[in-house]
Amino acid sequence: MPADVIMKIGPGFFPTILASMLLIFSLLLMLNALRGKSKGEVPPLRWSDPAVRRGLCLLVATAVFCLALKPIGFIPCAIVFLFLMMLVLGNRKPRALLMAPLIVTGGIWLTFEKLLHLELPSGILAPLLG
Amino acid sequence: MEINWGLMFSSYGAVFTPSVMLLIAVGVTAGIVIGALPGLTATMGVALLVPLTFGRPPLESLSMLMGIYAGAMYGGAISAILIRTPGTPAAAATVLEGYPMARRGEAGRAMAMALFASFFGGVAGAVIMTLASPLVSAFALRFGPVEYFGLAIFGLSIIISISGRSLIKGFMSAFFGLLICTIGFDPISGFPRYTYGTMELMEGPPFIPTLIGLFAVSEVFNEALKSGVAKSVTAKLDQYLPSWADIKYCFRELCRSSVIGAVVGAIPGAGGDIASFISYGEAKRASKNPELYGKGQIEGLAASECANNSCQGGAMIPLLSLGVPGDAVTAVLLGAFTIQGLQPGPMLYKEHIDIVYQIFASMMVAQFVMQFIGMAGIQLFARVIMVDRSILTPAIFVMSVVGAYAMRSNVFDVYVTLAFGMVGFLMMRYDFPLSPILLALILGPLAESNLRRAMVMSGGEWSILFTSPIAVVMMLLAALSFYLSIRKHQQIESRLAEMEVEFEKNLGESTESPERPA
Repeated sequence: MPADVIMKIGPGFFPTILASMLLIFSLLLMLNALRGKSKGEVPPLRWSDPAVRRGLCLLVATAVFCLALKPIGFIPCAIVFLFLMMLVLGNRKPRALLMAPLIVTGGIWLTFEKLLHLELPSGILAPLLG
Repeated sequence: MEINWGLMFSSYGAVFTPSVMLLIAVGVTAGIVIGALPGLTATMGVALLVPLTFGRPPLESLSMLMGIYAGAMYGGAISAILIRTPGTPAAAATVLEGYPMARRGEAGRAMAMALFASFFGGVAGAVIMTLASPLVSAFALRFGPVEYFGLAIFGLSIIISISGRSLIKGFMSAFFGLLICTIGFDPISGFPRYTYGTMELMEGPPFIPTLIGLFAVSEVFNEALKSGVAKSVTAKLDQYLPSWADIKYCFRELCRSSVIGAVVGAIPGAGGDIASFISYGEAKRASKNPELYGKGQIEGLAASECANNSCQGGAMIPLLSLGVPGDAVTAVLLGAFTIQGLQPGPMLYKEHIDIVYQIFASMMVAQFVMQFIGMAGIQLFARVIMVDRSILTPAIFVMSVVGAYAMRSNVFDVYVTLAFGMVGFLMMRYDFPLSPILLALILGPLAESNLRRAMVMSGGEWSILFTSPIAVVMMLLAALSFYLSIRKHQQIESRLAEMEVEFEKNLGESTESPERPA
């Protein structure tokens, strides 16, 4: 097979078409918006809205959770994350706040490590978990 | 291709072993719970639980996923009936009849019929799948690159035309998904694209982590922005099976909807939500008293629930025989097959016919297990809706991260999940449909590699695309579906708005009745 035939419609062919189509459709969408033909309104995100602050907390917490997963380990990360997120999402029942993170984390860890033999990062607990 | 009855019976034998039955039961239970919880869809459930099946033998893992799929399709009806919120998009039509019934104090009757209709549809779908997919696969053996390219375009055209309120946004979602699949080694020349030298991206973005991000993590972010007030359920559920009279009354609808569901399911791109809406509409049209629809007509409920379960069998037909998923859930299942080292498509019938028959068997068995577990746990499943969201939402995130990490033990996959979670959240917020991305992730590589293979064969001549009648028909159908969706979009939207208004009106009337679940 001569190389020029393969390269005529080469690795760049598909992405180029797709990217140009994406551009064309975004232009169409903008044009529609400028002509006032947008469908539906999305309420803007305002800092004063407690829901937005909740969402932002969650966003930061999820990012920290993902970054800390490897060095610190699954069990401590998950317990702290679940506890904090329950607080952020408005749970104020002391018994639930103490018990739920432990039960959920323990359940997931046991299922993956012991039942399915899939490894989760052990992190700082590595000496304890062996 | 003939059906091998001996193999069929031995496959049922393989499914009736304690470990497989246990996994089907676990899958069905998890599926019903996931389906019953609004915001948790069947797609998300399968994506979230696929990691639990890594490392299990194919039969065990696929049976469990079949169970989840069946359970979730029924589970959506529970919250549709009890709290007027469809648990999955496929149960949207169920709300229209189910909730007015519950308002009238007939929650038990509605739930019993929803379960039975799901079971009936599921069994019908499984039978249709068993009979039809060998035929389709025998036909598909003749498919070459040109036909596969046509098929991919057809599937994409359907999903773009039916999902979301704006056709432009549907297109943009699909192109975005297609663009994502060009990351990694180019399928023909092996040239790495858009990897920026990252080893982890060489094979493209990992499929399951991407899905978990798009469908589960995005929902976690979404949930945080909502006021997390759980609705309480006080309706009494006193019925486990529909009465003989109800079954007889709905029998015609059950049969009709089973066929509609399976056919819609078999069209690549169209899934349970479309199936249930179409058969609900058909039931209303065929009814002698359509004015009763929207006020708690049990036939309509049966039609919708039956169709979304028979759609399951239908959607498996193109998945198994062509390697092209019939709906969003089967798209995730395709990922699960690949993890097991199985490549769905006509060759699966040649190389792993035993697995194919075991899938037929496990799907059939899953329907019976669903009926049984649904009856046994009806009280419990109704309470699941009231679960504390402040625990559930973060727990889903932790599950997502674990699922993404577990397959390759690679923290990079966790970052992928988080990134796609944010992308998915923003897309949902601004009304971009997510399912075209999912289909594009699977159909994209199929379209690209087959188009370029065809071009290599023809020496760069575009005319090769028009040499195959099958491919031409599929491309014409694709063009037709775009044309229809542009023309009908306005019409469908106004009809949906009409239905909504009618529904609100009926609701207002029934609020005055003494029987009032809070």
